[in-house]
Amino acid sequence: MKKVILLAGLVMAACAGCSSMGVEPWERDVLAREEMQLTTDPLEAATDDHIYFSKEASSGGRGFGGGGCGCN
Amino acid sequence: MTISKERSVTATLAAATCTLLGTVPAPVDAQEEPKWDFNTSVLYYGEDGDRVQDASLKALIRRMFVDDRYLTLGITVDTLTGATPSGAIRQDGAQTFTRPSGNGSYVVPAGEHPLDDTFHDTRVALSANWTQPTGRAGLFDVGTSFSKEYDYTHLGVNARYAHDFNKRNTTLSAGISFSQDSVDPVGGSPRPLSEMLDVGDISNRSGSEDKDIIDVVVGITQVINPKLIVQANYSLSQSDGYLNNPYKVLSVVDPITGDTLARTPGIEGGPSGIFLFENRPDTRTQHSIYTQAKYYMGGKVLDVSYRYMTDDWEIDSHTVDLRYRWPLGSEKYLEPHLRFYTQSEAEFYRLSLPDPNDPNGAPLPAYASSDYRLGNFDAITAGLKYGWTTKNGNEMSVRLEWYRQTGTIPADQIIGNQANRDNYPDLNAVIAQFSYRFDL
Repeated sequence: MKKVILLAGLVMAACAGCSSMGVEPWERDVLAREEMQLTTDPLEAATDDHIYFSKEASSGGRGFGGGGCGCN
Repeated sequence: MTISKERSVTATLAAATCTLLGTVPAPVDAQEEPKWDFNTSVLYYGEDGDRVQDASLKALIRRMFVDDRYLTLGITVDTLTGATPSGAIRQDGAQTFTRPSGNGSYVVPAGEHPLDDTFHDTRVALSANWTQPTGRAGLFDVGTSFSKEYDYTHLGVNARYAHDFNKRNTTLSAGISFSQDSVDPVGGSPRPLSEMLDVGDISNRSGSEDKDIIDVVVGITQVINPKLIVQANYSLSQSDGYLNNPYKVLSVVDPITGDTLARTPGIEGGPSGIFLFENRPDTRTQHSIYTQAKYYMGGKVLDVSYRYMTDDWEIDSHTVDLRYRWPLGSEKYLEPHLRFYTQSEAEFYRLSLPDPNDPNGAPLPAYASSDYRLGNFDAITAGLKYGWTTKNGNEMSVRLEWYRQTGTIPADQIIGNQANRDNYPDLNAVIAQFSYRFDL
């Protein structure tokens, strides 16, 4: 239980720190642009994740690492 | 806040936080709200030296419903051909190997890296995700995935929840996915560390094998200022079950010369040397930290990400990815891309093995694999993408990238004549992709 309280405290502290950053709703014109989304091209991102999953020992990070391929 | 503004913000946050999922939905233009969004592409991936070639068709189709709910369907069809390193080492003379099916053999010329050329497969992957807001600040996503190859089946489910705080400047998210995969190797799965046998002898083979994978991802996305957004994720991946590659072998070598021990093939043919099938631990735990930042600089956008991965196979990796989107007027852009990757070898990575029948030789390790993907290597990707908007408002792009892997074998694993040969199967590949995105 103590760990949960500690974790909750840390999250709240982190959020309190974040509250000094950010923008007002009317300042979001640039952030709303398609090229400012964290994943601009989801199909290309999925393609790259699959290629590197097949050829390297690391996967995921951006999303689920998962399986789904024999990948010889 | 106007309704369109609110929807725009929701769309932004949905797109910004949906990145937790492998097949993420595309961002949506909030002004038009089309019912169907089609994101399609044709991909060619080709490795040099007659190695793997993949021609692939992919589509992500999103159906919009009222109240910002949507269904995302993914489909991929891959056609794979080509040769892949068997795991055996080069020799000064020609080498013969039994095919994975046990129904024939193939010869690798003197001095060449042993490649198994029997690899050809068609892979179909399907996914479906349902996403909907919950309350004013929450977003819930649940999905399933399926893929099928000749010798491999994957079935997965996943769920994710994201919650916005601080005027939607902060988003906390958590997701979990569960995969159940089954491998049914051509000719059966070989008994770990057993010998490659003569043609027609499948006495060391058994049926299919399974593995389960659980992934947990927690993340935070934070708007820093009107031009900068950052994300940080922690992910844990736990794999249990059959984690071997059933087609990979290791050469058994002389402790002095480092040359593969010779073997006399049977009447029907068989391996010319002693090769043992690999064996990996049946559990693997990976931890990853992923961070990303996007920064807007007067029309240009810099996208930087870094990932650190460590696992209990003692593999550590670092990945840095850089993209720079450079607009050419309002309808076109260029996007150079650079990616750097480095990893250390698994603790059980071995270039070759000692003779298990030599009473004076070193004992066989419990686990061993010479799969180049578990070795020590660096990789670099360099590419360029060109995108444009068509007259009717649809988006097209074409990209061309080069991928190069160069590996090194730990010096203490090199024995005798192995020092005179290039033991790591370096990889060069080209990636070409054409994408077309349209709404209906």
